[in-house]
Order: sequence, then C-alpha cells, then structure tokens
Amino acid sequence: MEGTVALLPMRGQALKGHLDGMLLAALEHGPRHGYAIMEALRAGSGGQFDLPTGTIYPALRRLDRAGLVRAMWAEDGVRRRRLYELTPAGRRMLDAERHAWAEFSAAVTTLLGSRPRPVTP
Amino acid sequence: MTGPARSPGTADQAIGSYLAEIAAGLPGPASARRDILAELGAGVADSADAYRRAGLNPAQAARSAIAEFGSPDRVAAGFRTELAAAQARRTALTLMIIGPLTGILWFTAALASHIGRLAPPWEWAGLPDGARLATHLATIALATAIGSTLFTLAATGRLTRWLPARPTASAAIAAGSLATVDIAMLAALTILAAATPGSLAALPVAAAAAASLARLSLAARAARNCLTLRAAYPAATPTPTPSRWRWWR
Repeated sequence: MEGTVALLPMRGQALKGHLDGMLLAALEHGPRHGYAIMEALRAGSGGQFDLPTGTIYPALRRLDRAGLVRAMWAEDGVRRRRLYELTPAGRRMLDAERHAWAEFSAAVTTLLGSRPRPVTP
Repeated sequence: MTGPARSPGTADQAIGSYLAEIAAGLPGPASARRDILAELGAGVADSADAYRRAGLNPAQAARSAIAEFGSPDRVAAGFRTELAAAQARRTALTLMIIGPLTGILWFTAALASHIGRLAPPWEWAGLPDGARLATHLATIALATAIGSTLFTLAATGRLTRWLPARPTASAAIAAGSLATVDIAMLAALTILAAATPGSLAALPVAAAAAASLARLSLAARAARNCLTLRAAYPAATPTPTPSRWRWWR
C-alpha cells in the first residue's frame, strides 16, 4: 500500500548514504581512478549502482579532504588521471562501516524476514 | 562528407562543450576548478573509450559517456560544496600564515617603543584610554579570528565528516575578525601617536602598520570572496553524510 510507494525513491537515498563505504571498498585492493572506481561499483553491484558517474567525483574529493583517501595525478601514456589510494584512516573507516553495516543489515533481515503475524479480526 | 574522419573531432567538441557547461557552474579558486575539470575530462574520455570498445562510433560514444556522467548542472552542483570548502580552507591557511607574521611585527614595534615588555596588550601600562580600548577590541577580535580559523581548518580537513560541509561562514568570520584586529591596532597606533608624539620607534612601527594595512585588505577580500560564494550558491542538495547518521532518517 503506502509502503510500496515510499520504497522506490528511498533506493537512491539509501545508496547515497552508503556511497562513502562503497567508494572506500572499491579502493581496498589498490589505487584506482574515478572512472575505474565507478566501473568496479557497477560491476560489483550487478547494475544496481546507478548514480550518474559525475556525482562520485565530488564524493572522492570529500574523502580526500577527510584524509580517508590520498589523491595523486598519474600518467599512463594514454592520459593523465587522478588516482585515489586508501590511507590507514580510510582502511579503519572501511572496517568500521563494514561492521556497522553487518549489524544493521542483520537487524533489518530479522525484522523484514519474519512472516507477518496473522491479524486477528 | 560524413566519414569517420570527421567524427573524432565532433566527439571531442561534444565533450569539450559538456566540460565548459560544467565549468560555467563552478565558482571558487581557479586552481581547484582546473583540477576538477582535468579529472572529469579524463573520466569522460575513459568512459567514451569504453563505449567505443563496445562498438559505438566516436560521436555516439561521446554522447553516451556524457549521458552517463549526468547533466552539467547536477555534476557542477556536486562540486560546489567541495569548492566552497576549498575556498574556506585556503582562506583559513592564508590567515594562519599572515596572521602571526603581522602579530610579530606589532610586538616588535611595541617592544622597540618600550611599551608592553612582552606583556599582553591589556596589561600595557601608560596607554591613553582610547588606545587601551582599541587594544582590548583587537584582543577579542584576535581570539575570535583564531577560534574560527581553527574551526574552519578542522571542518575542511580531518573532521569534515562531523562538521559543516562548507564552512564559508566561519572562514568569513575568521577573515573579518582579523581585519577588525588590524583596524583596532591602527586606531590604537593613531591615538598613541597623537597623544605622545616621538615616543614610538618609527621604523618597527611603520613596518607593523604597513603589514597591518596589507593584511587588512587581504583579509577583507577573503571575507568578501567567502560571502559571495555563499550567497551565489546557497547550500543545495546535502552531500552524503556518514551512513551511521543517515540510517536513522
């Protein structure tokens, strides 16, 4: 009923709330540039991740300012790209996000996963 | 002729005008804008390369890449918070450098004129009332400037996740307070020079006054820049906040 209507717009919002954690996770195995991060998120989420690519760049800069990633320019023969690398603080934040997410999603799974109780008329 | 030879140029043009549209919506320091546009340009080009590898012709690939990145308005809006933070941080860092320099010159001038002897201004003996009042005002303004400068640096640095996303207001307060310090110090100097002519060490005092005048104009301009940026682009969509706060909304 009303719940179904509210669910759709929430998806983008929910995605945005976890953007930081997902960006950090995309850098876990080594430095990447913005577009490679976006491709990793898209591939890793089976297409569920559908933010406009241009909007992840400001988020990366914010993480850089916060000291969670380190940015550097690198040239690979094709073009100059800005690479992002996880800092020790970023790695700690990623662990914390993972832990918090595991707790939260376990709680939601418990609540949503249980069958509705029969309503007494 | 419509051969493939013309297409790469058209594709580059399309990407170029897309970036120019984004640039038109970006305020703030020129160096930060250049950096952002270079990064975005490389990203759009990477994306277009991927579409070409998938079989699109250059013009189609450029169009698809542009569509994937999002409307220029939306992309520029995302960067505005970052640029405002960059402006605020740059202001705070500039104040951190020029602030103490001018302060040292004033203390040197006071010592050379045998006022103060390393005591804080409010304990300086023998000052005319007006000059004393002005130094009190300078002290209060200085404390405000230091506090808001440190706050701005924290909010635009490590603590950015917990403090306001674009502390242009605190940067403007920091710059404005520092300008007030200079006005008050120059006022105190004028009063003192009028009351006891010849008692001041000319050279150190002139150096301090010149530094204060320079700092005054710099700080006033920095404050104006921060306020202009704030007025021109009111906080739009909030940037994603840490998930732990957002979950409970």
